[in-house]
Amino acid sequence: MERSHIRNFCIIAHIDHGKSTLADRFLEQTGLTRGSRVEVEQVLDSMDLERERGVTIKAKAVRLPYKADDGDDYQLNLIDTPGHVDFSYEVSRALAACEGAVLVVDASQGIQAQTIANVYVAMEHNLAIIPVVNKIDLQGADPEAVASQICDVIGFSRDEVLLASAKEGIGTPEILQAVVRLVPPPSGDEAAPLRALVFDSKYDSYKGVIAYVRVIDGSVERGHRLRMMSADIAIEALEIGSLTPGPVPADRLATGEVGYVATGLKDVGLCRVGDTLTDAEQPAAEPLPGYEEAKPMVFSGLYPTQPNDFGPLREALEKLRLNDAALSFEPETSVALGPGFRCGYLGLLHMEIVQERLEREYDLDLLITAPSVEYRVRKTNGEEIVIDNPAALPPPTEVMEIAEPWMTITVVCPDRYIGAVMELVTGRRGVFDKMEYLQGEASRQNEDSVQAGERRVSLQYQIPLAEILVDFHDKLKSMTQGYASLDYAFSHYEAAKLQKLDILVNSEPVDALSLITHSENAHAQGKQLVQRLRQLIPRQLFDVPIQAAVGGRIVARETVRALRKNVLAKCYGGDVTRKRKLLEKQKAGKKRMKRVGNVEIPQEAFMAVLRLERKS
Amino acid sequence: MADTISLYVHIPFCTVKCGYCDFNAYAGSDHLIPAYSQALIKEAQLWRKATENRPVTTVFFGGGTPSLMPVEEMRTVVDGLRSAFDIAADAEFSLEANPNSLDEPYLAGLLGLGFNRLSIGVQSFHDEELKALDREHSASEAGDAFRAARSAGFTNVSIDLMFGLPEQEMSSWQGSIEEALELEPDHISLYALTVEPGTPLARDVARGRTPSPNPDAQADQYEWTEERLEKAAYEHYEISNWAKPGYRCEHNLTYWRCREYLGLGAGAHSYLDGARFAVAALPTKYLELVDESFKSLENGSDTKMRQVVSGESVTPELDMADTLILGLRLIEGVSLPDFHEGFGVDALERFSEELSEPFEFSLVEHVDAHLRLTPKGRLLGNEVFARLLPD
Repeated sequence: MERSHIRNFCIIAHIDHGKSTLADRFLEQTGLTRGSRVEVEQVLDSMDLERERGVTIKAKAVRLPYKADDGDDYQLNLIDTPGHVDFSYEVSRALAACEGAVLVVDASQGIQAQTIANVYVAMEHNLAIIPVVNKIDLQGADPEAVASQICDVIGFSRDEVLLASAKEGIGTPEILQAVVRLVPPPSGDEAAPLRALVFDSKYDSYKGVIAYVRVIDGSVERGHRLRMMSADIAIEALEIGSLTPGPVPADRLATGEVGYVATGLKDVGLCRVGDTLTDAEQPAAEPLPGYEEAKPMVFSGLYPTQPNDFGPLREALEKLRLNDAALSFEPETSVALGPGFRCGYLGLLHMEIVQERLEREYDLDLLITAPSVEYRVRKTNGEEIVIDNPAALPPPTEVMEIAEPWMTITVVCPDRYIGAVMELVTGRRGVFDKMEYLQGEASRQNEDSVQAGERRVSLQYQIPLAEILVDFHDKLKSMTQGYASLDYAFSHYEAAKLQKLDILVNSEPVDALSLITHSENAHAQGKQLVQRLRQLIPRQLFDVPIQAAVGGRIVARETVRALRKNVLAKCYGGDVTRKRKLLEKQKAGKKRMKRVGNVEIPQEAFMAVLRLERKS
Repeated sequence: MADTISLYVHIPFCTVKCGYCDFNAYAGSDHLIPAYSQALIKEAQLWRKATENRPVTTVFFGGGTPSLMPVEEMRTVVDGLRSAFDIAADAEFSLEANPNSLDEPYLAGLLGLGFNRLSIGVQSFHDEELKALDREHSASEAGDAFRAARSAGFTNVSIDLMFGLPEQEMSSWQGSIEEALELEPDHISLYALTVEPGTPLARDVARGRTPSPNPDAQADQYEWTEERLEKAAYEHYEISNWAKPGYRCEHNLTYWRCREYLGLGAGAHSYLDGARFAVAALPTKYLELVDESFKSLENGSDTKMRQVVSGESVTPELDMADTLILGLRLIEGVSLPDFHEGFGVDALERFSEELSEPFEFSLVEHVDAHLRLTPKGRLLGNEVFARLLPD
């Protein structure tokens, strides 16, 4: 295909604003898929979890053959972007592979925090942006208000904003026309040595690691020896091709084209998103800019409830990492829980996905400790250490200073929630940065319309990551009746008065229940935590004291009273089999718990810290 | 002497299904009773050959509400049983009954059929508790029914009561026990209310309409009751059962001693020739399957038991666990020499690991060549039983 007839673009949208539906429409209109919606959906969201959570976890690309109004044939490459802020690096690499972006905004919900963040990234990459107000057919839609919001916030004129209903197919042909008209064809140097941007990769058990690439300069040819520039390893282009949406092998991917390269690699970690593919014989001088190592931000311990599941857990983690280069893990041993792994994730959603896949796909009973951030600890002897497990914090006498990661967060919400958001954030040690109205007074359409007629604000704060790890997003949603959206990015490290809170069960410290908390909260949290644990730890055959200690001093105590009654009333009509089943269920319940000393502790207890109430 | 056997007959009909009940019982299906009686007779015939030479020492009609069956229907069934099985002349012959379906003529009729033991489902002697349990009778009707049974000539009458009802005060429970004792029953069964999944009670508890029974209150009630009934000269012989000397329920002892029994009727369970199995639970399905089996038997084509829909063969390992789990329900416990004779292993050695915590926390004890639950262990039986299950 002539380079002038190639268009590389992506869709930027908040969760549920209609990205998948619009992509399905594009596929349909270019004749790639016909038939039921279910079939179409499966094209882009191939992981069950993605469909269930309504987010696209891994980016993929599809090539759409398109006959435009001018009668010419075009090659449109639609690159899918992950829809969650945990994957913002992956989003930035997907955007870097494009020249244009379709910005989709829900006609009843308006612009959300993450949408703005992604638009800014798109602007940094000089992408042509095609704004679309979607779901205009829905009740409660206020397309004009949302259109003017887009104009105000991002800077368009009203006639540039398209109105559509992807579900009904309204306005979607116009979007494809606009892509052809407004998105510039790829530039790049055909004669220069190959540089192809890896914007996604996945492991395929037949072909090894598949890299999804955008050729920036030069071209890739089948069978050529290639080099991953950042990973600094040699590979061979075993198979190359494009996705339409299934793989269609080709001999060559030319400058500006998007497609896949089967690398034969066994480890997806060697084919990291953002890396540059070049020719081994004629390498490029410089890799493409923007490459970053995966930086886990959130950590938790993963322990098998049954000690003999350690091997299977390791295998499962290794298999997961084949397809998830951002997942890190290393063995650790807890005094209370025995051998397990310390895992690092990009963020909380990433953590949940990994844990759910381990349990669902590998049928493992896991014990997951509460998530932690990475602390930088300066010791009195001058040594600096980094810890991602509260249990590893040295005793107070050896600690000079503890620094924790801070985030910049942006909350977009109707202005009547400013007070609530402010309260939530400051209650969690957040510090106000700035506030901006997203829309002028003049564009208010309808005083009564909560969705679109109200003034929306963008609030920016600095806040410790540890404070938003747990239930922050849920709280934000419930305090704003679901109208607030959140975006966050790492800001800096800052020293704080932090202390370790230890929990003792039956007089034994349980390292996996330790947490690091701000001194101001330590006592109150200790008290709450032992109360929660008293409810969560089932009654045993003896009294179990539960204590919280700060700096070696007990600050709270509760007792789980010994169980007094647990016996089946009768075995009715000789139904021994059923009676046995009931007992088996009880036995299985016990097995799912972790024995710490001689106390059986259920998984929920290890997550109790997640449900601690804050001041807000 | 040939191995004896017990016979259970399930009558799945009720006028009302109580909110806590998860037994195989159906309200509003009384029209099926005549056909059901015929099916029981046919089913008895189906088992005739397999139980030849096995004298029946106990017969137990359970439900449902067996006392819903008119005497004439009952006669048909009992005659059918007698013609199919070798029922001993001195067999214990029990019937479960609801107070509101008992009057003297009916009771006299039952005696005439050979019933010699009556178990009356009183549940409570407080009208408001009976109402909350969906029981159709009143407290005074329960007393009347009991006296009617006595005057009709029943010399072995048992009363069932339920404790640990939501919000039940100790004093209320004590009141029910005292009322029961005044009637001087020969046998008393006391069951803690259990919230069974899928029952209306479970839904009410889940929705917060009814508080869930409090296990500590149940334990208090149980401990008080043990003492009170001992004072009244009842022998505590099984976790939930007390009897005057000589009045233990022989039929139920069959279950706890892990001996064999045959269950007839919809959803009935059997333990026969080393296998545990169950019959189709739905009455209409049961009728249909028994009929098919009976026709095949009659025309000689096969002897398949189509009504048996599930089963398991009891491995020696399972048999050992069952023997202990069921036997430990008895206050006397499990005879270790008998266990050794039956399985060729020493129970304490074979289960030393499983029993280490129960011994450590005084849930079980080794007394007089028996392994038995301690008084504390009686309330924590499941903690012991679950540990004894094979992996």
